[in-house]
Amino acid sequence: MPVKETVLKELENITGTDEVRKNLDLDLFGEKVLDSLGTVELILALSEDFSIEVTPGQIDRELWATPRKIIDYFQERVKQP
Amino acid sequence: MDLIERIDRWSQLAPDRVAHISGDQLLNYRELISRSNALAAHLTQTLPNDHSPVAVLGHKEPEMLIGFLGAVKSGHPYIPLDTSLPSQRVETIIETAKASLLLTPEKIQSLIKEKNASKVEIRRPALENAWYIIFTSGSTGEPKGVVITRGCLESFVDWILGEQNFAEAKETFLNQAPFSFDLSVMDLYSSLASGGTLFSLTKDQISEPKLLYQTLAESNVSVWVSTPSFARLCLAEPTFNEKMIPTARKFWFCGETLAPEVASGLLNRFPKAEVWNTYGPTEATVATTSIRIDQDVLARYNPLPVGRAKPDSEVKILVDGNPAPVGERGEIVIAGKNVSIGYIHRPDLTSRAFYEVNGMRAYRTGDAGHYQDGFLFFDGRMDFQIKLHGYRIEIGDVEANLQALTIVQDAVVIPAMKNGQADHLAAFVILKARPSGSDFQITRGLKRELSERLPDYMIPRKFIFLEGFPMTTNGKADRRKLAEMLQ
Repeated sequence: MPVKETVLKELENITGTDEVRKNLDLDLFGEKVLDSLGTVELILALSEDFSIEVTPGQIDRELWATPRKIIDYFQERVKQP
Repeated sequence: MDLIERIDRWSQLAPDRVAHISGDQLLNYRELISRSNALAAHLTQTLPNDHSPVAVLGHKEPEMLIGFLGAVKSGHPYIPLDTSLPSQRVETIIETAKASLLLTPEKIQSLIKEKNASKVEIRRPALENAWYIIFTSGSTGEPKGVVITRGCLESFVDWILGEQNFAEAKETFLNQAPFSFDLSVMDLYSSLASGGTLFSLTKDQISEPKLLYQTLAESNVSVWVSTPSFARLCLAEPTFNEKMIPTARKFWFCGETLAPEVASGLLNRFPKAEVWNTYGPTEATVATTSIRIDQDVLARYNPLPVGRAKPDSEVKILVDGNPAPVGERGEIVIAGKNVSIGYIHRPDLTSRAFYEVNGMRAYRTGDAGHYQDGFLFFDGRMDFQIKLHGYRIEIGDVEANLQALTIVQDAVVIPAMKNGQADHLAAFVILKARPSGSDFQITRGLKRELSERLPDYMIPRKFIFLEGFPMTTNGKADRRKLAEMLQ
């Protein structure tokens, strides 16, 4: 499954809204669709999906503020050897 | 020595020791005691023949501690309120409690500046007088105020100081919960009574995981007090271990079920630390039972027991008012000095939940439980109350507030479960007339409206719009079928 689809599937599952798919620039924290528990849940799920180590302590909230930013982050990470 | 004397003595024994850290704000014991005395002097003067509650609204600022002690020393119970509560709920609480005054950190600062504290006459509450009032979710949409007396609180503090062996004037206690949540009483008074330092995590520090771990690494926390959910969040970070917090020697939980994997995760990451599980409703002053969870307990029990009752309390399992045979499930009833005198200005609710047994106050918890091997086990609720990440929520409270919104015709709220515990709330909503906009836009509007009435933790994460609810044969919304729709 492409990176974009995997991220959106997990985001949709955790936030409970398909708006994350419709609006890739949705302010996840500002719109209160994601909180700190949800962020950690998402980090763990995506870390497992992509088999790469991403830990909550590595993530700046700003880097994960929108669906597009999360997709970009993982597209970069999966390219790395 | 009563609790006020226990706390005040630290201004003599360790005046420069830090009593509270919150972000970049520090307060030592000399300042805490002199400023709370100054506030008490002001309140005694301005409210001379009055013992009405004083509300203290803030977010973990040192002034909140000054406000709590200042109120108590002037003969007023305090109502701790966090700024995360919507203003409408704050107003309801103040009206329900008939509070005489609302103190904020700024107000407290200005009052103590005006006052000389040298000649304060402390009007300490009698054992049967209220020390604090904490509001919890009520099933009809109105919060209810649990009145905790000095006798209740001293019974709790005497027990934990005896059981937990805190090193006097040496410990640093983690304060994760806002002061409006009674879990915070556990860290606040353990710390103040033992000359400890209370280390508050602010909402900004908690909201960003990276900042949270940095803060914890610099905290020097020795006694960790939190909900198990919060510890689970921390365990998601692989570097959360004894190298991050080398001072941690005790993890002490209350507020919700402690899952075995959280306890074992902590014992593995912090091999020198103790893990303790406790149980108790707000109405019985934070916690009534406790047990140390070690590898032996972990190997023997799943789910984990919540322990044995504190020495001056009785915890019974009743079925139809009679003691249940050992092993049989029934309602948990708590009796003892730690049991509240009831809900403020709500004799109707008080008489339903509280009664006397053998001269002791008793409280019907509405929790199901059983005894095994001498330990109490918590088996969930007998009604529609849930615990979500440690917060106590009456489903009826969320539904009533949702139903009160102008575009909502009817609403049913269901806790979505994960690993056997409530993970988040989902709202099934029938709209009176569908406004324009997508489901997300309608959801956003409802969440915004709801946030003016309810704290964030009570707002459903998911909204599902339906034309009608599946019904049971009794003509009620079929909650089981709705829950199945979430799977």
